[in-house]
Amino acid sequence: MSYRTKGSRGDASNLENQHRSSGSSRWSHCRKRGVDGTLRANSDEDGDNRGKGHARSDSRHSSFTTPESTGPVSRCARRSDWGSQVEDEEMRRDVHRDMQRYRRRILAADGAQRERKTSSGSSGSCDSRESDGMETDEAMLLRRQKQINYGKNTLAYDRYIKEVPKHMRQPGIHPKTPNKFRKYSRRSWDQQIKLWKVKLHAWDPPAGARQEGAQETSLNDDIEELDLGDVMDIEFDFPALTESQNTSLCTHSSSVQDQDCGGTPVKVQKTELPEEADMA
Amino acid sequence: MENSSDDYRIQSFDPDSQILLKTALKDPSSVNLEVVSNIIVDQSLKDAAFCKESGRICYTIVQAEANQNGGNVFRKHLLNRLQQEFNPREETRTRSLQEWVCFVTFICNIFDYLKVNNMPMVALVHPVYDCLMRLAQPDALMNEEEVDCLVLQLHRIGEQLEKANSQRMDELFFLLRDGFLLQDGLASMARLLLLEILEFRAGGWVLSNTAHKYYYSEIAD
Repeated sequence: MSYRTKGSRGDASNLENQHRSSGSSRWSHCRKRGVDGTLRANSDEDGDNRGKGHARSDSRHSSFTTPESTGPVSRCARRSDWGSQVEDEEMRRDVHRDMQRYRRRILAADGAQRERKTSSGSSGSCDSRESDGMETDEAMLLRRQKQINYGKNTLAYDRYIKEVPKHMRQPGIHPKTPNKFRKYSRRSWDQQIKLWKVKLHAWDPPAGARQEGAQETSLNDDIEELDLGDVMDIEFDFPALTESQNTSLCTHSSSVQDQDCGGTPVKVQKTELPEEADMA
Repeated sequence: MENSSDDYRIQSFDPDSQILLKTALKDPSSVNLEVVSNIIVDQSLKDAAFCKESGRICYTIVQAEANQNGGNVFRKHLLNRLQQEFNPREETRTRSLQEWVCFVTFICNIFDYLKVNNMPMVALVHPVYDCLMRLAQPDALMNEEEVDCLVLQLHRIGEQLEKANSQRMDELFFLLRDGFLLQDGLASMARLLLLEILEFRAGGWVLSNTAHKYYYSEIAD
């Protein structure tokens, strides 16, 4: 049992905490934004100041939880702080606006397609997905949007969109954001997100560009932030997953996926992994 | 848009804070936005003039941050700090009427300026109403500063508030009407202010010409 607690801080773990305050995993530098939304410095100059501005005496990120600490507000329940409420409201409005835009696009595309079709009447593969009808469940759309946001909130994504403009994208090679309006099963959607994020890792910044002292999302912050549907995201703090690693993590995560929101077992398990990686 | 920092009335801040604010307006990601939000809130609670316009500087920083990196760190800290000040408002009122009035002015100003997709922030609607309802209580109506604050806010954001929740606006105006008609010991200025706001709302948040003349022109006697 290796819970990290505030009290039990020896020299060894102090070292790790300094390490941790700059990012709990080797790949935290890929995160564009810390869990509190602060943008990571790309240059190091003010990184320390920003880090210290948020420092508690134990230099741990404030959303890191242990059983002894009060921990963050559960994301399963509605967030009661105004900052979060307004963020949620904004996301809801964005999703509705996206829905309207998407509907208009579909209608326009439908019209064009009907004109082009001959009397053969067979549906292209694209057709059948659209004609199943659009996903309109707000809760589902919000969850999917959150998952997409996690993927887009990365340096990899930033670098990707700068490097490859949309019209230059080649299917299969270039990752494409999953379409949240299409009807998919939960597993299918989560799998698409997973594969998309794996593909995005090809644009991760080189490991030499790690920064000290900047605000970071730690692996454990991710856990607090995620709905259970986003649990799958956790595995992507590890670089270049080999196939076997990928499948073993998959099996693990998918069993967790069906649990209710209540994360202690998940947190414990996931807390252990980066420690082991760091100590290796 | 080149706005001189004077537009934001930051002269009342100490020199270091002024520099911090000016930087925040131009390059938000380079400063600690939590600190920035705290100094703005602190000043707004002290400075009766600043709190009437502080919404604007907040708006500009929010926009600057959104444009620079799509973030909303400043807004989040600002709102959460506002919430922290809102919860103990009754104690604040007891301790310092001036601070209470500044707080109400400030939160209404934020409601006015900080919009989400051009719509007022839903999260603030009830808190703002709670504040205004408090100002409409009999004990508050006895204080000219509180009545003054109440009518000023209703002039500025009454229409938006009513659109967001008309039922609570009705409730608020029941209190105002009762206060005007029934409350003993109300100062004549307070009475006048209440009458004006009653007419203002009755006219659809606009004062008719005759009403404007009645309330606002100098009568040569």
